[in-house]
Amino acid sequence: MIILKDLSKFYPPDVHALKGVNLHIKPKEFICLVGKSGTGKTTLVKLMIAEEKASKGRIIIGGWDITDIRNREIPILRRQIGVVFQDFKLLEKKTVFENIAFALQVSGISLVRMKEIIPQVLKIVGLEGKQDRYPVQLSGGEQQRVALARALVHRPKILLADEPTGNLDTQNTKEIMELLLKINDFGTTVILVTHNQDVVNSINKRVITIDSGKIISDQKKGKYIL
Amino acid sequence: MSISSIRQIIVFAWQSFWRNFWLSIVTITIIVLAFISVNFLLILNILSDNAIKVVQNKVDVSLYFNHDASESQVLETQIYLSAVPQIDDITYISQAQALEQFKQKHQGDADIIQSLNELQENPLGATLIIKAKDIGDYPDIIDVVNNSKYNNLIQDKSFDDNEVFIDRIKEVSDNVNRVGLIASGIFILISLLIVFNTIRVAIYTHREEISIMKLVGATNWYIRSPFLLESIIYGLLGVAIAMAVTYPILGLIQPYVNSFFLDSTFNLAQYFSQNIIKILGVEFLITVLLNVLSSIFAMRKYLKV
Ligand SMILES: Nc1ncnc2c1ncn2[C@@H]1O[C@H](COP(=O)(O)OP(=O)(O)OP(=O)(O)O)[C@@H](O)[C@H]1O
Ligand SMILES: [Mg+2]
Repeated sequence: MIILKDLSKFYPPDVHALKGVNLHIKPKEFICLVGKSGTGKTTLVKLMIAEEKASKGRIIIGGWDITDIRNREIPILRRQIGVVFQDFKLLEKKTVFENIAFALQVSGISLVRMKEIIPQVLKIVGLEGKQDRYPVQLSGGEQQRVALARALVHRPKILLADEPTGNLDTQNTKEIMELLLKINDFGTTVILVTHNQDVVNSINKRVITIDSGKIISDQKKGKYIL
Repeated sequence: MSISSIRQIIVFAWQSFWRNFWLSIVTITIIVLAFISVNFLLILNILSDNAIKVVQNKVDVSLYFNHDASESQVLETQIYLSAVPQIDDITYISQAQALEQFKQKHQGDADIIQSLNELQENPLGATLIIKAKDIGDYPDIIDVVNNSKYNNLIQDKSFDDNEVFIDRIKEVSDNVNRVGLIASGIFILISLLIVFNTIRVAIYTHREEISIMKLVGATNWYIRSPFLLESIIYGLLGVAIAMAVTYPILGLIQPYVNSFFLDSTFNLAQYFSQNIIKILGVEFLITVLLNVLSSIFAMRKYLKV
């Protein structure tokens, strides 16, 4: 359960990125967050992973009010929320395995455990056998899958995907979307930020449209309306 | 913290060291210079302490008794003085011994020997040679003697005042010390700045990894520890290399030390070897403290975690 109450974000000196957003997201929901460029979608993602602090309002995730989260507690939050971005944020000098291991190491998981977990998540994202490749040896879609695998190794309750298909062609976009739906089927709440009209229209999920920092539409089985 | 995360921290620090190889070399070089000058300061202090000790050891007060003072009177004086707390040691030279020593000293001088032999009586008095526990105690001891009832038995007192000499040593060593302190201070200051800068560059070089670490929920300490470790490695390597450079220099200085200390021997390298754990321990502690401090400042400024 994610609750946003009257959430505002002000970037000094004069940018009101979010203006009083109210939103309830139920567990295991799939949300499409759409809106024009510069309307505050990424800002919303950043607030939910405590990369930015809210100027006003509350953010409650799974009953935990993270609005005034302490620095010390941020890692705990981040291990419960997986995030992927348009640029995959993979380390070029590390293999697929190492890129994913990187996320596990920070929470002190042993190499033995990693060797069990990583092939499993690679299987989920459809990258079996590619664990020793370097990012440059993978297609964009495959790189995004590695990023997804890395986001999933902590078994997060929530997955935030900020334009994950922004850099991908139609075929790869389709495959990533199928993967996101599969992840959602496994019981993970997915929040997908996207510009892609076809994607939104094809999956028939809840669509929230933001404009100028405000929610202007919230449809249960929605279509891209801008 | 698990073995795997410790491993990752070490690997991270190690990579950081090699990625900015030349910067790492410069950093270590400056720390080496800083600790070579600290070592010199140490050598200087050890030497001047020893020089002062040697000179102090040579200082004593001799009480020359009248030649008609009886042996029992002299011994009584000795017993009386041995109760004085500032006195460390009293050597008794009897009249006969005094004469013997005198003769020995003037062996070649036939005139003196002859005139001595012509005398019926021993013209020399007994002597008490007094060593104080501390060089500053001599005036007190002389006071005690002056105010005692034995004073009229004493013909003469000699106090070889080496104080001027000791003051000279102190002055010279103080001056060199000051220069050494300034040099060490400057080097240490420079190494603080260099470590600061190196860690800053390391943070910059790793900005991508750092941002991903944050994203996947690494704790602040987990993110910081490679940089701390890196700065500690610089310090430890710097101190160790400085010591390795200092050792051969000790050998080069030794002949000069020997010519200064003449009769008493003092081996610098041996002194260092005997105290190596203490010296390295303190230096490691200093460098670790300083480097950790400056990398914490660097992280404060450039690592928003
Ligand atoms: N750190 C910041 N400081 C100041 N202004 C910012 C900052 N980050 C974002 N903004 C501004 O806040 C507004 C919302 O930005 P945000 O990144 O949330 O937009 P977005 O909806 O994700 O856009 P896009 O679809 O292009 O990614 C924009 O006007 C942007 O310029
Ligand atoms: Mg955005």
